[in-house]
Amino acid sequence: MAGFLQQVVEGLGAGAVYASLALALVLIYQFTGIVNFAQGELAMFSAYVAWQAMAAGLPFWAALALTLAVSFAGGMLIERIVIRLVEGAPELTLVIVTVGLFIFVNAAAGWIWTFLIKDFPNPFPRGALEVGGVSVGFSTLGVLGVVALVMGLLYLLFQHTKIGLGMRAVAANPDSARLVGIRVGRTLALGWGLAATVGAVSGVLVAPLLFLEPNMMGGVLIYAFAAATLGGFDSPAGAVAGGVIVGVAETLAGAYVPAVGSDLKIGVPLAIILGVLLVRPRGLFGRAVVERA
Amino acid sequence: MSFLVVEGLVVGYGEARVLHGVDLSVAEGEICAILGPNGAGKTTLLRALSGMVRARGVIRLGGTALTGRPPDAVARLGVAHVPEGRGTFMPLTVEENLRLGAFVRRGGREVEDDLDRVCSWFPPLRDRLGQVAGSLSGGEQQMLALGRALMLRPKVLLLDEPSLGLAPLVTRELFRIVQAINQEERTTVVVVEQNAHLALGVARQAHVLETGRIVLSGTAERIRADEQVAQSYLGYRV
Amino acid sequence: MTQVEDAGVDARPERRRPRWTPTGRRRAAVAALLAAALYAPFQLVPFHVFQLTMVLVYAVALLGLNLLVGHAGQISLGHGAFFAVGAYTAAVLTHGPGLPYPLTLPAAAVVAFLLGLAFGVPAVRLRGLYLALVTLAMAIFLVPLLKRFEGVTGGSMGLTLPKPGPPAWSGLAEDQWLYFLALAVAVASFALVGSLLRSRVGRALHALRDDEGAAEVMGVRLPAYKTLAFAWSAMFAGVAGCVYTWVIGFVSPDSFTVNLSITLLAGLVVGGLGSTAGPVLGALFVMFVPSIAQDLNEAAPGVILGLLIIAVMYVAPTGLAGLAGRLIRKIPRKE
Repeated sequence: MAGFLQQVVEGLGAGAVYASLALALVLIYQFTGIVNFAQGELAMFSAYVAWQAMAAGLPFWAALALTLAVSFAGGMLIERIVIRLVEGAPELTLVIVTVGLFIFVNAAAGWIWTFLIKDFPNPFPRGALEVGGVSVGFSTLGVLGVVALVMGLLYLLFQHTKIGLGMRAVAANPDSARLVGIRVGRTLALGWGLAATVGAVSGVLVAPLLFLEPNMMGGVLIYAFAAATLGGFDSPAGAVAGGVIVGVAETLAGAYVPAVGSDLKIGVPLAIILGVLLVRPRGLFGRAVVERA
Repeated sequence: MSFLVVEGLVVGYGEARVLHGVDLSVAEGEICAILGPNGAGKTTLLRALSGMVRARGVIRLGGTALTGRPPDAVARLGVAHVPEGRGTFMPLTVEENLRLGAFVRRGGREVEDDLDRVCSWFPPLRDRLGQVAGSLSGGEQQMLALGRALMLRPKVLLLDEPSLGLAPLVTRELFRIVQAINQEERTTVVVVEQNAHLALGVARQAHVLETGRIVLSGTAERIRADEQVAQSYLGYRV
Repeated sequence: MTQVEDAGVDARPERRRPRWTPTGRRRAAVAALLAAALYAPFQLVPFHVFQLTMVLVYAVALLGLNLLVGHAGQISLGHGAFFAVGAYTAAVLTHGPGLPYPLTLPAAAVVAFLLGLAFGVPAVRLRGLYLALVTLAMAIFLVPLLKRFEGVTGGSMGLTLPKPGPPAWSGLAEDQWLYFLALAVAVASFALVGSLLRSRVGRALHALRDDEGAAEVMGVRLPAYKTLAFAWSAMFAGVAGCVYTWVIGFVSPDSFTVNLSITLLAGLVVGGLGSTAGPVLGALFVMFVPSIAQDLNEAAPGVILGLLIIAVMYVAPTGLAGLAGRLIRKIPRKE
């Protein structure tokens, strides 16, 4: 039993990371109807920015603050420069453009920082909390705490600020939002900036667990896709729940299903994506069928 | 004194022209009805006024040129447009929908008072402030749309087919409220309506639009009296 | 080709009908290209012959991808997986039962076709980006899967195989023989796809791409055609994979990562979606641009590819093929 709980705890830690990237995906999908295939790479790039800041001598938390600011600006810039031009284009075009962005950002990181792996400091203390035979690493707790904090801040932003209300209005009905005087273009850019910031958090959380290298987020992105699909692409809360479920399912499958083992774990998100799309395409918490006609 | 002036307004979607040089002038504080059959370009005219479609020609509001401005800029100048289909923010609550109407205003006391005022005009909304707007009935959604527009404290209110899909009783109530608001606030109103009888009941001036041109203008009484003309242009009894 | 061939599109009543009609030009271009393709291996050094062979392999893979993306308007971010399946089918059948290489081609085609069909069935119910997600996940999953079944696939080490040798009567060197094999497969594939697109099937696929709703109204059986588009597309990728195995003589999971899938899609986009020349231009691009850029910096291919894809989507959605077409049309016509 303790062994099982231990696995669940590990899964929660992994799930929190997936949840944060899934949250970034969902934010952009809600605003623009775009699934951003480059989201993981943007997060990876952010992690490098943090690494660079620390290499320049900044302490971790200062580097994080700087990274979040840079990511926010970067996300807005990408929306203004790249995405704006294909707004309203067919889905195929949108997917291809974000794939192009994926390739570009991935290679750009390799160009700037090389493809050699880098060590990324873990901001949380070593060691673990022992609770009834289950050990919960401080690092896991830290990740869970950060993701919960991000969730909370987003909730406050969306539910209790005017900007957040405007963003939700744009997501719900862009034409009507224009008519009440909301600058929709700016709001969309804001959405991308916000998503990039949330993604940056996931990048900085992942980097110490994996090694920092340009392909670090490739796998995580698939898990985040599974999380967003499971939770519903139009539900931020669903994305987080989906992330946690995917993380736990992956860990348990790896531990208890011999056919899966550690090497085929990546099959778990694949199975989840396929299963959800075939059985309940809107996901667990999605409002309606997510397909935009 | 003309408040809203339109001169030579031309709108085309791709190849097809919808408006061929519309001239219009509306005095401040007046209700102006735009009548005409389906497909005459009434909705397009309103959309051009609020900047939702690109138009050539002149649109002026109290001396400020509106042509070429995007809808959000037009809204910030005090033009509230209740669009075709009502433009409800479905997943948001009724209160959030109303507050969005006042998005460009500085918050505070006045907005809170206006929220209260809108609720007193439309009592059903007060009971449903926390409810998701998508769950409202058609009539309630039309009230919400009108209420949202009023939250702007608009100088000009553009109404697109407020009667569409509503029971006659509800429609009459809506028009009564529009008239009351017009008298209390001196809000200029441009209303597009298929139900000419209702619109002429509240309007002072009326214009008949047919295939993208204004074919008849005059006071509401004159248009109403001129049944022969109206009938031949409108294709139905006034 | 002295006769007037194209009656409809370019009629200019005030002038005599030009000799160089679009169809005429196109046929001449194809003939010239084929002649050059037959001549080339006798003039080039073996390494360049090998490079051209790989261009042909990629062209067949892109041909398949183009059928799905360019013609049917569906997305696949995982076509490298079908390519890999074709490659591994050939490798495993040669390595284990010792199947003669010509027979591995139909085997690879069938396996990839069936796999495409299997993916095409759920794909019918998925639109756009979901298809992209599922195919991407498939491509990512394939690598650990290949490593897992070590007994069959050789695991991470992969399988090394003898390359098909030239028959004595041909008098060709190995690289030339491989080149002609690839050329034969490529020509046959292009001919097959060409006739497919001219048939009812082609019209149905285009209807699918341009407007699913209208296609359905017109009586196109959407599910059937979507599934088949997937299967055919996978089949050509599998065929290309099989030829790849012949040419390289080695398969390993790391040759078929998700990067391959993405590179293929990128190549097709740059070459030109939905055009005949697109796959060929795309294959040239995939083969040469990354390796040239590599000299600049390890990351340069990705940077260039990424920027180009985005630029192409803005400036020239018809890709290089479309640009070339526009240029050709600008050349003054002979009277």
